Amino acid sequence: MLKKLVAVIAVLALLLALPALLSESMLNASVQMLIAALFATAFALLCGQAGMLSFGHAAYFGLGAFATVHAMNAFGGDGLLPTPLMPLAGAAIGLISGLGAGYFSTQRTGTYFAMITLALAELLHALAPHLKEVFGGEAGISSFRMPAWGFEFGSTIEIYYLVLGWTVLCIALLWGLTLTPFGRLVLGLRENSHRLKFLGYNTHALGTFVFALSAAFAGVAGALQALNIEAANYVVLETQVSTAVLLNTFIGGAKVFFGPAIGAAAMTFFGHVTSDLTRSWLLYQGIIFMLVMMYLPRGIVGEILARFRGEGGAVNPVAVLARFAGILVAAAGFVMAIELTQRFFSTDYKAARQAGGWPAVEFAGHMWAPFAPLTWALPIVLIAAGLGLVTFINRREARRQEAQI
Amino acid sequence: MEQIVFALLNGVIYGLLLFMVSAGLTLIFGMMGVLNFAHASFYMVGAYLAYTLQPVTGFWLAIILAPLLVAGLGIFVERFVLRRVHAYGHAHELLVTFGLSVVIAEVIKMFYGNFPVDYSVPSDLNFSAFALGGMEYPFYRLFMGGVAVVMFAVLYLMLTRTRVGIVVRAAIYRPRMVEALGHNVPMVFMAIFGIGAFLAGLAGAIAGAFYTTNPNMALELGVVVFVVVVVGGLGSMEGAMLASIIIGVMNSLAVGVNVSLADVLARVGLGDWARETGGILTLQLSSLAATLPFFLMLLVLLVRPSGLLGEKE
Repeated sequence: MLKKLVAVIAVLALLLALPALLSESMLNASVQMLIAALFATAFALLCGQAGMLSFGHAAYFGLGAFATVHAMNAFGGDGLLPTPLMPLAGAAIGLISGLGAGYFSTQRTGTYFAMITLALAELLHALAPHLKEVFGGEAGISSFRMPAWGFEFGSTIEIYYLVLGWTVLCIALLWGLTLTPFGRLVLGLRENSHRLKFLGYNTHALGTFVFALSAAFAGVAGALQALNIEAANYVVLETQVSTAVLLNTFIGGAKVFFGPAIGAAAMTFFGHVTSDLTRSWLLYQGIIFMLVMMYLPRGIVGEILARFRGEGGAVNPVAVLARFAGILVAAAGFVMAIELTQRFFSTDYKAARQAGGWPAVEFAGHMWAPFAPLTWALPIVLIAAGLGLVTFINRREARRQEAQI
Repeated sequence: MEQIVFALLNGVIYGLLLFMVSAGLTLIFGMMGVLNFAHASFYMVGAYLAYTLQPVTGFWLAIILAPLLVAGLGIFVERFVLRRVHAYGHAHELLVTFGLSVVIAEVIKMFYGNFPVDYSVPSDLNFSAFALGGMEYPFYRLFMGGVAVVMFAVLYLMLTRTRVGIVVRAAIYRPRMVEALGHNVPMVFMAIFGIGAFLAGLAGAIAGAFYTTNPNMALELGVVVFVVVVVGGLGSMEGAMLASIIIGVMNSLAVGVNVSLADVLARVGLGDWARETGGILTLQLSSLAATLPFFLMLLVLLVRPSGLLGEKE
């Protein structure tokens, strides 16, 4: 417990000190990371703790964003609430829409539930362009932050602290929720809802309420996003938003409380860093997600925690390092193959070919010709070497464990 | 009058196409309990493969080869991806196929770009089948409907009249018993997955030429197919058929109707108020056509949560 407390305080101190350490653009990325972390944690309340897989959480995120923009524009721009309290508008609309959507979707469980959430989100996404007054059509709705409580809310630093405050508060609330009897009931809903029903609990009402809570916190995340960019567009209702939060949550580990937040922050960070380098970030994210689902079913954070608890036997640091090196080498080869393919099939390349011939493309500081053997041999050799190393270590470890028994 | 006939015909044919995709989905679900999120992606892959093969092999060979390749992809996915995560439960399988759909969409974008490709009906099939009241009806639509009907006749006969069909149906009903009787059930599952993928790929190869072929087609169709499956009742083939046709006809009829809630309210004298309020009250039904399936789904969930022909939970 003490260890946890120290860790939490250390992370908080680091987050508070960040504006002094980072550049403007990295601070902006940190704001995005915090929002993604809050969104993923809210999402995990539903899909990790209550075991209800939602494919349409963009709806509540987006509604929160639009509600906030409308609240900011209310009374001729004076705002419904002082700027720091704006996310309450997002929370309110998230809660209300979550109650409605949750009532329908929790009629069914499992796969049906997932399909209904997807359909509800698509319904909103299909309606939004037609409702110009509410969603602002193609252009979206913009607004600006009013000064309040002696702050201008003009600089990135001020908005960083605002977002940090809300994110920490909401994640703390969600954490507190897991400690209450209600939090235990939510876990019961995941593990055995039939039994809960037998014990006399109203599982439909419980499910609806969990859904609404999750939607409310997602709404806060959407509100923070709207405050950050001072606008909202119906793009936030698109499936990509739902997809991103789902991938982030499960890459981190949906059933560990801080897994989703860490996963979302890490993925957003990588997305930001690689956005200048690659156009295929979503592809990598999808592949990472599939690999995590296939080989690390508890998510990256979940598996690391399980190792710390001593599950799966003693850890041999040399083997772990060797595996890690093998994966890195294979990943390098794979990224190279993908990036080269992407460049050879891009529209830029088609334009370059108009001049005739098959020009080489630039990757990692070198030029690669499309039909040179080395261009394709190098990634293949890297992938084979990396995977070979991992397989070799796995076999050796398996033999060692057998010998011990 | 002619318009209504045409709209009905279009609707039924669109419904048949929907059924072609949802049949495989519901078959796989009934058998393995896996809702394959990537199923609509197979539809998209079918369209893109046919588009790629067409210049080399010609249209006819392309629409046969593309679904076969998609079936191969389906078998690969079942054998090496789904079977691996089977032990972690159904939610996990759903998530993996969801990840797969993301990866497939991104790979398609990588090779073909994030815009529609020029895959169109070959010119020797691009003629009108008949004319009614001065309007011509494209032959290709009838062709799509015909292929769908033939596929179903074959599938139905195979499932009900052959020995293989008996094993398959038994494997859906009692997989362990069938395994105990010495049949290779994982093999049957793999084959069914392949057939489902083949059907989706065929639908894509044929429909892609008529509708647009773009990287979003999987998602657009996928959502409707999931609605079909929920409305019809998961795992029920007849339900999927019924729901497909209903949604197809409903969609194509709604496109031609320019009525808004305000017009309805005008009948009871509230028209002016509704027009002033605006928003959802003045939206034309035709512009809402894309959202109608979702409303139907919500209605079905309220009235009959297990779907039109689904069994009670």
